Amino acid sequence: MIFLLLIYALIFVITAPGLIKRKEWREFAAFLVVYAIAFALGLMYVLGIPIPSPMRGLQYLISDKLGLKYPQK
Amino acid sequence: MREKTGMKIAVIVLCIFMVFALSGCLGGREINDLEIVIGIGVDKDEKTGNVLVTAQIVRKQAAGSSPGSDGGGDEKAFWNVSSVGGSIFEAVRQMTHKTGNRLFVSHNQVVIFGNDVAAEGLQSYIDFFLRAREMRPTVLILVAEGRASDVMDAKPETEKFPAMNIAKLVKTYGFTSHLYKVNMKDFASCLMSATTASFAPLISVTEDEGSKDVYVPGMAVFKNGKMVGKLNHDEVRGVLWVLGKVKSGVITVPSPDGKGKAVLEILETKSKAMPEIKDGKIIIHVMVEEDLSLSEQTTAENLATVSAFGEIQDASEEVVRQEIMAAFKKTSELKADIFGFGEMLHKKYSKEWKSMKDNWDDIYPTIELDIVVASRVVTSNLLRNPPSPKEGDK
Amino acid sequence: MNIEKGKISSSQILFLLAGFVQGSVLLIDFTVGITQQQTWMVILAGLVITAPFILSYVALAKRFNGMNLVQINDMVYGRFLGKVLSAYYIFFLSMTLSFNILDIGELYVNFLMPDTPFIFLLAVFATVCAYAASKGIEALARVSHLFVVTEIFIIVSTFILLIDQMDFSNFLPLFELPFIKIFQGIHILSAIPYGETLVFLMIMGRLNNTGRMVKYTFGGLLIGAMSLFIVSIRNTAILGKTQTIWTSASFQSIRLIDIGTVLTRMDFLIGVAQTVLIFFKCSLFFYALVTALSQLFGLKSYLPLILPLAGIEVILAATVFQSPVDHAMITQNAGIIYSAPLMYVFPPLTLLIAKIRNLPGQERGGGR
Repeated sequence: MIFLLLIYALIFVITAPGLIKRKEWREFAAFLVVYAIAFALGLMYVLGIPIPSPMRGLQYLISDKLGLKYPQK
Repeated sequence: MREKTGMKIAVIVLCIFMVFALSGCLGGREINDLEIVIGIGVDKDEKTGNVLVTAQIVRKQAAGSSPGSDGGGDEKAFWNVSSVGGSIFEAVRQMTHKTGNRLFVSHNQVVIFGNDVAAEGLQSYIDFFLRAREMRPTVLILVAEGRASDVMDAKPETEKFPAMNIAKLVKTYGFTSHLYKVNMKDFASCLMSATTASFAPLISVTEDEGSKDVYVPGMAVFKNGKMVGKLNHDEVRGVLWVLGKVKSGVITVPSPDGKGKAVLEILETKSKAMPEIKDGKIIIHVMVEEDLSLSEQTTAENLATVSAFGEIQDASEEVVRQEIMAAFKKTSELKADIFGFGEMLHKKYSKEWKSMKDNWDDIYPTIELDIVVASRVVTSNLLRNPPSPKEGDK
Repeated sequence: MNIEKGKISSSQILFLLAGFVQGSVLLIDFTVGITQQQTWMVILAGLVITAPFILSYVALAKRFNGMNLVQINDMVYGRFLGKVLSAYYIFFLSMTLSFNILDIGELYVNFLMPDTPFIFLLAVFATVCAYAASKGIEALARVSHLFVVTEIFIIVSTFILLIDQMDFSNFLPLFELPFIKIFQGIHILSAIPYGETLVFLMIMGRLNNTGRMVKYTFGGLLIGAMSLFIVSIRNTAILGKTQTIWTSASFQSIRLIDIGTVLTRMDFLIGVAQTVLIFFKCSLFFYALVTALSQLFGLKSYLPLILPLAGIEVILAATVFQSPVDHAMITQNAGIIYSAPLMYVFPPLTLLIAKIRNLPGQERGGGR
């Protein structure tokens, strides 16, 4: 938990001041969006909340629904 | 300015963090804490029917002393610990009840299976030795004629550790070619084959004036992991002739004049085995070439002549043929395809193989062997004539 | 218009590609369970089948000189559809990157450092890759020479050291397996080592001279494919039937090296080689992913997005699969199916549409 907060604080401190200083607002906005997603995911991981896996979703769609798969031995 | 200090703080924090994260792995174990295992024995515990695992552990102080001081004191340089468990992994872990540290098996030389375990079938015991991370696939596998723990107790004369001694015995099979070195990977490979039978060297202990000696009397034959029979020295060499794994050894033939023996040392061999299906019958063509040297003769007649060599060569070819046929006969009785003929057919005739695979047990004894041996005596060592009266008179 | 200022030379593209394909040396273990002793065939077949598609990537890069994938998509498909397609590509890049990070994590946990917490390993590794990506493609191109040569040395030397344990009859019978399994094997192999080279669609825009691009691209591809080929021959010749039971066949082959009681326990070689190469692969993926995402958002520089993306990738790597068994099964089925359009359909389609609409047209002096 501590590590998570530390790392994300670090990431923010390394990138954000530069962006604000140079008034690169578009970049800052994109950064915040990705940062928020990353932080949310990290938080879910640390708190033990199960994170839905995109591959499982794909597996369900492709293999179970559409039936596109190779025969298992 | 603000950005600079921000960056500096960030870098310092990062460095401190990296010191924690990057300085080595958590799985490190100090040498003092290691229980170095050099041999493992697997038996069946008589009382409970569970697995009894015996591990031979190196004793640190005694192992460090020079080899010379070993003869005097009776201090054993090793320690055989046993423990019982429902499975091998369980038993190995339970050993920490006695040793206090986890066993370190990466230096393990041999795994010896007791007679009862081998007869029951190794399939249920072998998984751990392949799956465990610290085990190496180059470990040698043997079968004890009695209990594995007895074999591991026999203190050898010239080596400090019984396990190393046993490993040495097996690795030097080339001197007689009466046994063969089998490691875990080879054994697993045979287990995975539907038709090939595997074999492993037998090891037994003899008592001789209070000191125990270990020796290899032959090899055990396994079918689907269960020990079904044994091969003696000559039969083993018969198998090795076909597999092309004979390195050296001794062949004794009667001398041409019938009054004694000619003893030959095998110098080099080459062999090939090719399967053929003709008229629904399976024929295996075996071609063996060997180079021999005349190492000893017990008669007075000079055998180092062209005609005598010719007769000796024919006689030794016959010996080789006999050894191969003896091996084939024994394994036919056991219905165990030790030679790997099934796999040879699989590789060459894969279509016919599919129909033969299932009743290979019945088909195997009907195989015809076409054996062609070519031997050559290339040297008579240091004597041109034997030291006998006839020569002296000349 | 360009996100990054770096330029790479033609010979560097050769090493970049070679190193990239070599990074998949351990990944052929995915197919070994399916194609057994015929894996070598599948490697060669995969190369032959994927080659034309890779040719289309090169042709695209040549035609749209200096532009990367996202820009090309925007131009060919229009602003909306182009962005949707680019998003599909970005999804693929981020998923595959997390698989690769997961692979190195699994390698360490299974064989080298079993007790270290998984997420730490992933985080440290991802950080280094992110750092490498932030230095730009030039830096990566400069070290690619070293990595490729080292890996070739390791592959060849392990092969030579194991020659006396090899049994070449393990390759017979030659055509035993049913065709559907071979087909699946070819599909997996053309997707994983070769198809992932679509990453280079983001990188080829950085070439300073597109003249001999085709030759160098295929040279790199060939070196990579030969490395995979030698490794699969080595594994099949030594392990024979047991090849399919091990979690990692290459690892077990190297464990069997036992020459003169001195050259034993060479397992570390594989650890070193794989770490280096998967790092290389991941750095390239990172670079491609970050530049693509930045281009999509229309940013001037890709640097700010690197670290948060690394965070997302680490969490993805740790959670996307529940176990190695899961990983293997999904990769062998859904994984290669969803990425197939990206590798085989869209690049040639893009090329075709570009030709029809005569893009990029008058400016930039064309690619011909």
